Amino acid sequence: MAATSAGRVLALCKQFHNVVRISSTIPSQNTGICLKKSSLARQNLLAGAACPICPVVQCRPLHTTISRMGLEEFFDLPENWGESTVKSGAPWTVTLLRSKSNEELHKLWYLLLKEKNMLLTIEQEAKRQRVSMPSPERLKKIERSMQRLDKVVEERETALRLLQTGQEYARPADWRRNLFGKVVWHRFREYAIPWYMNATYKRRRFYTPSFVKPHIRLRMEKNLRTRARQADLEKKQLAKLKEKFPQMKASS
Amino acid sequence: MRLTAFLSMAAKVVLPKDYRYGMSRPWTEAAKKRNPLGKNRRKVFIEPIASQDWSVFKGDTVEILAGKDKGKQGKVVQVIRKRNWVVLEGLNTHFRYIGKTWDYRGTYIASEAPLLLENVTLIDPADRKPTPIEWKFTEEGEKVRVSSRTGRIIPKPISERCDGIVTQQWKDGPKDTSPDDTLEKTYVPSLKTLEEEVMERLGIQEQRRPRRSFWY
Repeated sequence: MAATSAGRVLALCKQFHNVVRISSTIPSQNTGICLKKSSLARQNLLAGAACPICPVVQCRPLHTTISRMGLEEFFDLPENWGESTVKSGAPWTVTLLRSKSNEELHKLWYLLLKEKNMLLTIEQEAKRQRVSMPSPERLKKIERSMQRLDKVVEERETALRLLQTGQEYARPADWRRNLFGKVVWHRFREYAIPWYMNATYKRRRFYTPSFVKPHIRLRMEKNLRTRARQADLEKKQLAKLKEKFPQMKASS
Repeated sequence: MRLTAFLSMAAKVVLPKDYRYGMSRPWTEAAKKRNPLGKNRRKVFIEPIASQDWSVFKGDTVEILAGKDKGKQGKVVQVIRKRNWVVLEGLNTHFRYIGKTWDYRGTYIASEAPLLLENVTLIDPADRKPTPIEWKFTEEGEKVRVSSRTGRIIPKPISERCDGIVTQQWKDGPKDTSPDDTLEKTYVPSLKTLEEEVMERLGIQEQRRPRRSFWY
C-alpha cells in the first residue's frame, strides 16, 4: 500500500490524523491532575498545506507536530526568555504510560527527546554565560518520564517474549563458573566469529583451578562471620531500641 | 561501568551508616561543618515509625504537649522523618544572630526548634481540641485519618509539592497535556512489538536480513 505515492501520502495523512488525536485542543475541566510535555500546538496548518494531494475527507484543519522551525526548536518559547523560573507540570507516571498505545509512546518519546535537547541547550548556554539555569528540575522530570517510558516498553516486550518463546531475558546469558570459584551470571556478547575461532575468548577460563580451593574455604568462612556479626548487631540494636521505646511496634 | 551509572553515583550523596540528620540538608555547608567526614558523632536513637503510620504532614495544625510552648497550636512548616521531627511556625523558638560580619553584630531573629513527634498531637478541626488519630479506610477505599475521640475525618492539608506544584490550583501550560488526553486509554494489547507496530503504521518495510552473529 505504501509503495504507491498516493498510498504514501495516505499514510502521511493518517499519521497527521493520529497526531491530532494526541494533540487535540479540546478545552477540558481542570481535574487537578497536572501533566507534562505533550504536543506542540504551534501552527494551525490547513489540510491543503500539509498534504496537497490528499482529499479533504481524510484530513481536517489540524495542529501538527512536524514543526518547520528548525533550529528554533532548540530554544524555549520566546515568552520564557529571560525568566528566572519557568512553570512545568508533573512528569509522566508509569500507570499513565501503561494505558497508552505503542504508537503514542513512540511519538511521546521523540517529543520528550526534543524537549530534553532544548533543556540541555539552555543548560549549556547558562554555563557559558555564567548564570543559573531557569528551573533545572525540568530536566529531571524529562529524564524520569523517559526512563518510565522505557520501562513500560520493556515490560511489554518481556511479556510478549515470555508468551511466545518462554525466554525471560532478551539478551542471552548463562550461569558460568569463574576463576575465583564463584558461579556468575555471564551475559553473552555478540561476535562475528564463532567461539572456537576467537583466540581471546579461548584464553578465558570458565572453570576454577584446584589451587583456588583453600581461598574458597576462607572466603566462605569470612562471609559467614560477617553475616553472623551483622545479625548480632541488628539484634542488639533492636533490643536497645525496645529498651528505649517500649511501646514501639516490632518492625525495625 | 556505564557512564550514566557512574555519574549518578557521583551525584548521589553518600552518608555514613549512623549519620546524624540535622535541620540542614546533608549536602549543605552547615551540615558538613556539623558532621565532618570521618568524625563519628554520638548515636541518637529514634523511635522507628513505619511510613504508613506517619500521621502529621506539612500544613497540618497541631498542638504542643510538652516544652516551652506547651498548649499552643501551630501550623507545621517542615517535617524531618529521619529524626521524627516536626517544625512549627513561630513556636518553640530561641533567638540568634544571623549574617554576622566582623564589624556587624547581625540580625536578631527568632528561629524555631524542632519538636519530637511524640510531643505534638493533631487537632480535631471541629472543636479545635487535641485528639489521638487512627488510619481508617473510607467507603471509596481511600485511607484517611480519623480522630478517635469524635470520629471525624481530618483531611490532608493542601501543600506544595517539592517541585512547587499545588495540585488543586494547577493550570496547564502550553506544553502540558490536558487531563482528558492523558487519561485517554489507547492501549490495545496485541502480539506485535512496538517496533513492528510503528513500522506497520509508517509503512516501513525492512528488506535487509541481519548478518549471522554469535553470542557467547
